[in-house]
Order: sequence, then C-alpha cells, then structure tokens
Amino acid sequence: MIRFVQDILRVAGLPCREHVALLSRQLDTPLSRGEAAGLRLHTLYCGGCRRFTEHLRHLQSLGQTMAEQAENEPGLPADVRARLNDRVGQNTKKN
Amino acid sequence: MLDPNAPTRLPTDAEPANVPSRESDLREVAARRWIAEHGDVLWKFALARTRSRDIAEDIVQETVLAAMQGFGSFKGGSSERTWLLGIAAHKISDHFRRLRRVQAPAGGDTSTEAACQCATCRGMFSEKGTWACIAGKWPEMNLSEAERQEQAQILRACIDALPPGQGEAVWLRDILRIPAGEVCKAMGLTDTNLWSRMHRARVALRSCLEAKFGSRKEKGQ
Repeated sequence: MIRFVQDILRVAGLPCREHVALLSRQLDTPLSRGEAAGLRLHTLYCGGCRRFTEHLRHLQSLGQTMAEQAENEPGLPADVRARLNDRVGQNTKKN
Repeated sequence: MLDPNAPTRLPTDAEPANVPSRESDLREVAARRWIAEHGDVLWKFALARTRSRDIAEDIVQETVLAAMQGFGSFKGGSSERTWLLGIAAHKISDHFRRLRRVQAPAGGDTSTEAACQCATCRGMFSEKGTWACIAGKWPEMNLSEAERQEQAQILRACIDALPPGQGEAVWLRDILRIPAGEVCKAMGLTDTNLWSRMHRARVALRSCLEAKFGSRKEKGQ
C-alpha cells in the first residue's frame, strides 16, 4: 500500500517529458499499479499527455493495419525459395 | 542467445571434410525447414524494410546462412521464428548503416536529418519538461477502410525514415506484435535499451504523422 502511494506521488510529480516515456514503456512492459494509477491521474488533467495517449493508440492501431496488409502480401517467391534451398545445399557441401 | 556468427565446428580426423558430417546434415535439414516455415515472414520483413527484391533476397539468404552457422546455439527463450527475425533485423540494420556510409561519406548524415525533421523531442517540451505545444487531434475516428489503408501507407513511409535499428524494432514490436522480452533476446538488447529505442521511434513516428495529417497549436492558444 505504501509502495502504491509512493509510486502514484512519484509519477504524478514527474514532468510531461517523463510521462510520455512511461506511456510508451507501458506498451512494452506492465508498470506497477501505483505508476499506472499516477499516469492515469496525470493524464486526466494534462491535455498534452492525453493527446499523446490518443496518438499512441492510433499508431498501434495503424500498426495492426500494416500487419494485416503484410499478411495479405505475397510470401517468398518460388524462384527465390529455390535459390535459397540451392545455396543451403552448397553451403553444406562447402563445409 | 549465442552468437549466430560463431565459427562452425571443424571436421575431425574421423570425419573427413568431403563427407558431410551428421551435424552439417542436421543443419541443412533445419535450414530447409526454416525456409519452408519462416521464409514468408522473413521475406515480408526484409522486403517491407528495404523495398527491394534483390536486397530482400540477400538478407533472407544471409539470415539463413548465419542461422546455420549458429545452429545449435538457439536455446529457446524466444520462438525459433523470433530468433530468425532477430538475425534478419541485424542484417537489415547493417544494410542501412552501409548505405548511410556510402551516401554520406563526409559526415553529412542525411538519414538522421531526414528522420529528425519530423522526429525530435526538441520543440515538444519546454526546458522544464512540460509541453511546449499541444498536438492537434488526428482524423482517427470513423475512418473508412480506404483512409485507414492510406494512413498505414503514410506510417510505412515514416518508418522508412527512422534510423537503422529503430525501424526493425518497430516492425517486430508494433507490427508483428512479438513480446518485448522475445524482441530483447532476438536483437540482443536489454529491457531498458528496447524501451528507450521504442520510445524514440514512437515519438518520431508520431511527429512524422503529425506533420502529415495533424494540426498543432501553441499552448495557451
């Protein structure tokens, strides 16, 4: 509980530059409950960080669209696949 | 993950060089399986980053050969596919670094300048670390499918402008959605390295998109 409150106070006292780094880090690793709460609290009253959060969310969603586009793109062409397999065979003979 | 470029074991006396050793046979079988199972994803990754079929082919080939060299070094911790993507990411970053050296031999680092024009933290914050200006709202609500596809193309161009290493990390994390821990292992990064790299890249991408379809207003306006 003490740690939770300490984390909220610490995060709430950080400048927006640091909040932005935490908002990004949150996408890669879970923050502590206190850090996450401090971040949400700050975002409630900070328009700049709120907008940054929206933009990050939009970036993630466009990333998903790019993944879907990549999914529909053709894979390894047959001629490249054949050359790769040949090269693998040559590499084994050489060794 | 051990170094995939580590030298392979040399044949012993009992294992003449002209007779493929059991290990090299296994290595070849594994390489053919990698091509069959992961060739598509490696190809799409390399082609998306380099936008050249010839270079993409070289990168996939170098990746498979390097993985053969490091055969046996894959110890888990990430999936085999992520391990291969990590090797490919290094090859792609190396390609862009070589390209930069050729294009900017006198220290004029044009790629960085291009990325920084739309990407620096400078200007985003005051000296105290508070917002210097509030970015505008993006046209993100109720996008038609065509608009969404168009925005994804713009994002793709923004990713192209990122410095070597960042674009690859963005592909693995934010597009292929590989867990951060696996990306760290595959790219040989610490957690902190990856967070900082992803943060710089996301700020750069956000600024790049902002320049394309946002409207920024000075704080207080």
